[in-house]
Amino acid sequence: MKIKLIKFWQLLTVFALVLLFFSTGYCQKEQWYGSFTYSVSLPQGDTKEFTDEISWRGIGLDYRYVIDRAYSVGLFFGWNVFYERREGVSEVENGAIYGTSDRTLNLFPIMVNYHYYFGERKSIRPYVGINAGGYIVNQQFAIGIFLWEDDSWQWAVAPEAGVVIPVERDFGLIVNGKYNYAFTGETVFGEDMNNTFWQINVGVVWEP
Amino acid sequence: MKRISYKMSFRKTLSLMLLFIALAFVLNSCYPGEELTYEDTDIVATVYDTEADFSTKLTYALRDTIARVDGDGNLEFEPEAADQQILDKIESELQAIGFTEAASYDVADVLVAAAISQSTWVGGGCYYGWYSYWYPYYGWCYPTYYTYDTGSLLIVMGDGDVPPPAGGGTVEKEGLWVAVINGLLGDNSSSTLNRVLSNIEQAFDQSPYLAEGK
Repeated sequence: MKIKLIKFWQLLTVFALVLLFFSTGYCQKEQWYGSFTYSVSLPQGDTKEFTDEISWRGIGLDYRYVIDRAYSVGLFFGWNVFYERREGVSEVENGAIYGTSDRTLNLFPIMVNYHYYFGERKSIRPYVGINAGGYIVNQQFAIGIFLWEDDSWQWAVAPEAGVVIPVERDFGLIVNGKYNYAFTGETVFGEDMNNTFWQINVGVVWEP
Repeated sequence: MKRISYKMSFRKTLSLMLLFIALAFVLNSCYPGEELTYEDTDIVATVYDTEADFSTKLTYALRDTIARVDGDGNLEFEPEAADQQILDKIESELQAIGFTEAASYDVADVLVAAAISQSTWVGGGCYYGWYSYWYPYYGWCYPTYYTYDTGSLLIVMGDGDVPPPAGGGTVEKEGLWVAVINGLLGDNSSSTLNRVLSNIEQAFDQSPYLAEGK
C-alpha cells in the first residue's frame, strides 16, 4: 500500500511539472505542442511470458518542438501497468512450484523522440517517428506469502506511426501505435528480460 | 484579439490539466491487485535429485509420527489431532503412484518422513486514508500493526539404499525428493486441514517422475 501510493505521487509530481512546462511553452511559442494519450498495451516476448494479459492501464505525455513544418523533436513520459494473476504449476530447474502468483509490471517510459509529418499544417497529418530512451521499471512477483520486487532502468526504443487530426485552431486528436522494445533488463530472479509490447495510444493534442 | 486567444488557451490548458489529474486518480484507483483468500496463499514446492533413478525405488517406509520444529529449530514428536490424517494421505498418495510398503524400515527403498513448522509474523506499516491525499505533511499515515500465522509441512523422501557405515553410528542420507507446503493458517482448523490434504495430493501430482517404472 505504501509503495503503491508513493509511486503514484512521484508520478503525479513528474507529470504535473511536465504539464506546467507544457502550458508555459504553449502560451509563448506556437512551435511547441503537446499531447496527452490513453494507452492500451499488448505484451509480447518476455513481457508476455511474465504477464500474459492486455494492459488497459496506461497514459502518456508528449512534448514536441517543431523544427520546421515537417519535423519535430520532443520528450515522452508515460506510465503503463501490466498485471496478471496466474494459478498453476511453474517448472523450475529441479522441481516445480504450484501456487497463485500475482505478477505486476510498472513501466515509466522516459524518451526523446523524432518525428516526420506528412501533409500540410492544419490538415490531417500522418506521421512516423522513433522514440529512444528507457523505462523505469518496477517488477513484482508475489506467490503465497512471498514477494520479490525489483526496480531498474531499462534502455529501450519505440518506433511509432500515427496521425494528428486537427479539430479546432489549437486543439486536435492524436492516434498512434508504438512497438516498444527494451534491449536491457532482467527479472526479479536475475534472468535476462527484454520488455516488449505493442501499444495503441489515443488522445488530444495542443496546437497541432 | 491576441489577449482573448491567450485566455482561451489558458482555460483549455487548465481544463486539460484537470482532466489529466482526474485520469491519474482514476488510473490509481484501478491499480491492479485482487483480494487473496487463504487458499491463494498456499504454495507447494517440490524438488528432487535429478540423478536419482526412481524406477528402482519400489518400496517405502513412512515414519509414524510427524515431527514439529520449534522456534530454535529442534524437533519434537508430540502427536496432534490431525497428524494421522496427514500421514494417511501421504501413504495413500505413495501407494497410488505404485510404491508398496516395505516389510521393515531397514529394507525400504525410500524412507519418508514429515515435519511441521509454524511461525507467527508481525508486520507493520502505513495505512493511507483517503483524505490523507490532502494532508499537508507528506508521509503521514495511520500506523498499523498486524500478525499472521503461517504453517509449513515438509515431506522428505530419503534414499533407503545407502548402506550403513561400517563402524556403526548414523549416516547422512541423500534427499531424493522434498515437498514443502506453505500457507497462511486460517481460523477454521478443518478447512486448513482440507487445504493441507489437497496440497499433499498436488505435491505428488506435480512430481510424475516418482511413478517411473511402477
